[in-house]
Amino acid sequence: MRSVLGQAWAIAAKDLLLEFRSRTAFLSALVFTALVLAIFNFARDPTAVSSVDLAPSVLWITFSFAGVLGLNRAFSLEKENRTIDGLLLSPASRTALYLGKALANLVFVGAVEAIALPLFALFFNVPLLDVLGPLVLVIALATVGFVAVGTLMSSMAVNTRFGEMMLLVLVLPFLITPVSTAAEMTAKLFAHRPFAEWAPWLKLLGAYDITFVVLCTLVFEFTLEE
Amino acid sequence: MPPANGGYMVAAYVAAAVIYLSYSAWLYWRSRGR
Amino acid sequence: MTATASAERALRRGGVLMAVGLLMVAGVYVRALLFTPEEATQGLAQKIFYIHAPSAWVALYLAYGIVGIFSVLYLFLRDPRLDLLASSSAEVGTVFATVVLVTGPIWGKTIWGAWWTWDARLTSTLFLYFIYLAYLVLRSAVEEPGRRARYSAVLGILGALLVPFIHMTVYLFRTLHPMPVVLQPGRPRVPGAMLVTILYSFLAFTVFYFGLLWRRYAWARLAAARAQGDAEGGADATR
Repeated sequence: MRSVLGQAWAIAAKDLLLEFRSRTAFLSALVFTALVLAIFNFARDPTAVSSVDLAPSVLWITFSFAGVLGLNRAFSLEKENRTIDGLLLSPASRTALYLGKALANLVFVGAVEAIALPLFALFFNVPLLDVLGPLVLVIALATVGFVAVGTLMSSMAVNTRFGEMMLLVLVLPFLITPVSTAAEMTAKLFAHRPFAEWAPWLKLLGAYDITFVVLCTLVFEFTLEE
Repeated sequence: MPPANGGYMVAAYVAAAVIYLSYSAWLYWRSRGR
Repeated sequence: MTATASAERALRRGGVLMAVGLLMVAGVYVRALLFTPEEATQGLAQKIFYIHAPSAWVALYLAYGIVGIFSVLYLFLRDPRLDLLASSSAEVGTVFATVVLVTGPIWGKTIWGAWWTWDARLTSTLFLYFIYLAYLVLRSAVEEPGRRARYSAVLGILGALLVPFIHMTVYLFRTLHPMPVVLQPGRPRVPGAMLVTILYSFLAFTVFYFGLLWRRYAWARLAAARAQGDAEGGADATR
């Protein structure tokens, strides 16, 4: 009997393999990212607003939208051929299903972020390397919070009439804390502020992640047909 | 001498009344139904 | 007593409580406008408080609290009436939240000189509004009642847990984030007459909320009972 994590990894691997073969969602997310970065760069007046001030917001808007694009993928895959039934009939537990999907989403969104971040540094001329470590931590934490809730929501959204629009509506309120705290910390990092100044935000984000990862894992089974 | 902002007060009071009354009326009449 | 008859009786009683609530709110209007002294430094606009604050209490805490509690109960007990109560509270709560978001900026304009300044309570209400809307849209997007109830309950619970995080996020921004310099809203000194008005207005809006809730819930139960009774399924009031 495979462990929950083993099952989760198997599910994630399947999803990632499928995504790797088609690459459509991944490419859309990347193209979108590049587009947003370019637009922001051209649309602003460089004498009026400095890049460093604008950068954190732009980065997190980009990550948020690219993330939502990625989330849509998770269960719409299964909807196509009702392969969700196969997953439910398999020995995999519901928890493993959730963790597996969330893991795949995490890898997916993480990959988009990993490519977007250097592009971003390029376009906006921000001191990325100085603060890379803490920045990666912040991005990782925000992404975990976002993916945890987003995976749960996409499991429901896929079964509704409005599909992707529904996902956006459901997920948006839950993005407030992770995205705004992450953007704030990103701003503080680029400004080379001391840790003490952004530590409270980090604690809030950490608390958010713990709360919602646990909650979403517990509640996921209610989004599946009995 | 307090600022003369009675107009805002009226606007807010009227807006709230409109919202609450509209919903109450809609709820009452729709629920009488068939 | 059949489900339909029971729902019809609840409908009548809900209607009565609604009327009582409405009368009490009318009383707030009369009392606040005619029998409560004007605040010395803020002018007449301060009286918006007597509508705004109780509405905020209902929208942010009472109505959504009920959505959260009954969502949890539904997932444990699976009684469809629990779902109907939660969704009724969400709908009524949204109405109150709308009033908060309309009266708030109007009042804010007179205190802060700007319609919106990301004030802590208004911002929290705005984000809660997004959750309410998400809840209502979700319900309209799922037709099968069992799944609709389950999904709503999931969102209801998640939303309820989100509320404290929204408050904390907004609080952090207020205390640690440099804010534009704005006038501080003066806390009204509370002479006796004002205090009575404040207390009465909270009571009145609370009663009004329960009246609306009861009527809305009874309507939902009636529609569900009729849908059960009819061969072909019934009205669309079980939202």
